[in-house]
Amino acid sequence: MKNLTPLAQTYLDRFDAARDSLPGHGNPAVVSLRESGFARFKALDFPGRKVEEWRFTNLSPLTKGIGTTETAKTDGVPAPEFKTPHIMTFINGRFSEQESSLGGLPEGVKLTSLAAELDAGNDRLLIDEADDKRAVVALNTAFMEDGFVLTAEEGTSIAEPILIRFVSLPGKGANAHHMRNVIRLGKTASLTLVEEHVGTDGHAYFANPVTDIALEDGARLNHYKLQAESDTAFHLANTDTKLAAGAVYENFALTTGARLARNEMESRIAGAGATSILNGAYLIRGMQHADTTTLTRHLVPENESRQIYKGILDDEAQGVFQGKIQIVPDAQQVSGDQLSRALLLSDRASVAVKPELEIHADDVKCSHGASSGELDEDALFYLQSRGIEEKAARKMLIDAFLADVLEEISDEAVRDYFADVSARWMEGV
Amino acid sequence: MLKIKNLHATVGGKEILKGITLSIKAGEVHAVMGPNGAGKSTLSYVLAGRDGYEVTAGEVLYKGEDLLALSPDERAAKGIILAFQYPVEIPGVASATFLKTAYNAQRKYRGEPEVDAMEFLKLIREKTKELGIKDDMLKRAVNVGFSGGEKKRNEVLQMSLLEPDLMLLDETDSGLDIDALKIAAEGVNRLRSPERAALVITHYQRLLDYIVPDFVHVLADGRIVKSGDKSLALELEEKGYAALSAA
Repeated sequence: MKNLTPLAQTYLDRFDAARDSLPGHGNPAVVSLRESGFARFKALDFPGRKVEEWRFTNLSPLTKGIGTTETAKTDGVPAPEFKTPHIMTFINGRFSEQESSLGGLPEGVKLTSLAAELDAGNDRLLIDEADDKRAVVALNTAFMEDGFVLTAEEGTSIAEPILIRFVSLPGKGANAHHMRNVIRLGKTASLTLVEEHVGTDGHAYFANPVTDIALEDGARLNHYKLQAESDTAFHLANTDTKLAAGAVYENFALTTGARLARNEMESRIAGAGATSILNGAYLIRGMQHADTTTLTRHLVPENESRQIYKGILDDEAQGVFQGKIQIVPDAQQVSGDQLSRALLLSDRASVAVKPELEIHADDVKCSHGASSGELDEDALFYLQSRGIEEKAARKMLIDAFLADVLEEISDEAVRDYFADVSARWMEGV
Repeated sequence: MLKIKNLHATVGGKEILKGITLSIKAGEVHAVMGPNGAGKSTLSYVLAGRDGYEVTAGEVLYKGEDLLALSPDERAAKGIILAFQYPVEIPGVASATFLKTAYNAQRKYRGEPEVDAMEFLKLIREKTKELGIKDDMLKRAVNVGFSGGEKKRNEVLQMSLLEPDLMLLDETDSGLDIDALKIAAEGVNRLRSPERAALVITHYQRLLDYIVPDFVHVLADGRIVKSGDKSLALELEEKGYAALSAA
């Protein structure tokens, strides 16, 4: 047997003990799910750079050592900046009722914690796929401890967004949080979800959220994610979304945090008239590494996917964008557009971009574009020559680079919130 | 207003300006003419302070002050404007935002109070009306998708808004049909006053039919080889630069 990475070995050693204390341990279905995830993880280990999908992201800083989960601390939780009456907070991977406000949700919309669901014997929402090759998803299945479960019945909607906060606070040693989230929207149900991951700078931990989303016919989910983890954190996230006919999934991921992050998403478009939108921006500096890896699968004819990503990289930051569009045979009349642009503010910053089109149908419309470059010197001089100081001129151009992708966020309050977060990041340029 | 003495400048290590001496007094319009590659655009960029244009010898005094020690934005705030040969497209920056930011940045530098959005709108509407520019241009991104004529008109709008003391016009006629050229020239002429000066850089004489200069200088291979009044421009038009270089 090959040698496992030190972190994988730690997990292996822990599993037997953990299995009997993790939520749902009395439920054979949950136990068997964990065991199947554990077996896959053991066989896979954390991927090295020889694995094609991980060529550009080196996990060894993570796998060489990060410890165990700690008791949740409730003090020191920063107040939420985004204003909404519906807030659910997780502290160090565990639901905090005290920091949440879950009242006022309309009839037919339910927001609960996964741990509570599992302890109550509700395992029907969890899915595990035996052929899933993603080690961090398997790890999550084995060790999932909590997360949010959001269900909306047919025809329901909410006026105000739901805010889900994952807060990591410092304590002794390092932390690891395996959050498992589930979203199910019934026919024509419609809602907006803001998910944010925040941590205290200097605090090292491993966040490993997995989110499983299914949208029935005509449902719409606006799903916005802010990843502002601590500057020493590792964040490896997976989000899978299934879209039925006429469903719309709008995702926007804003990444400013973590020492090493990978946001991996998979959209499975399984209905006519459905639209998958995976947009985002990553703003990174210092030694940060941010990887966005997406797979959009058009499984039936007549649907659409769109994707725009913008990256701004300063200092020695490294970005990765891998975007794959797959169109299966006979999925005709499909359109898929992808654009990835990166702005390098330093000559030591770098970005690896790998767009991939895998098309097996002939009547489709697909496009992809990728570019990376520095600030336009001509534009900079033009602004300065009109009296605008260099710093302000640079800021104007950086703002402008980002503005059009932020415009894609259809919820106005979230757009403003993400614009504010971005503006604060720009202050450090 | 502007005194250039024995100015030498290099671009990418190559000497382009090889000793230019030129004086411009308030109220005067000077034209610098010359063939391609003579250093005309380099002269305008050096005066505006562009990065990469290195002055290796000589000096430039603007209102008695060492111009070369100032950053491009300081030069602008002190009253110099360069109207670009190729105005730059800036996607994502609305023209109105750009103009207001520039206007207020200059006022702030000079210790004048900044204007608010309402005041600015009133001011800019006056200017666009004067120049026959449609207001919707203000909402569009700076120069993006503008025709050649619109871009040049936008340069004139900036001059008319910023009210500079010294206008540097770099090939303002290039890419313009005769109607657009007339409009641009009218805009510049409207700004002519005893307090202001202009340096008009052009390859062709035709612009000088509309912006009539007091002095004409011929630039060839980085030096001013001949100076005269406006009749020199006509002579050049007739005989060409080659005849002059041969002389």
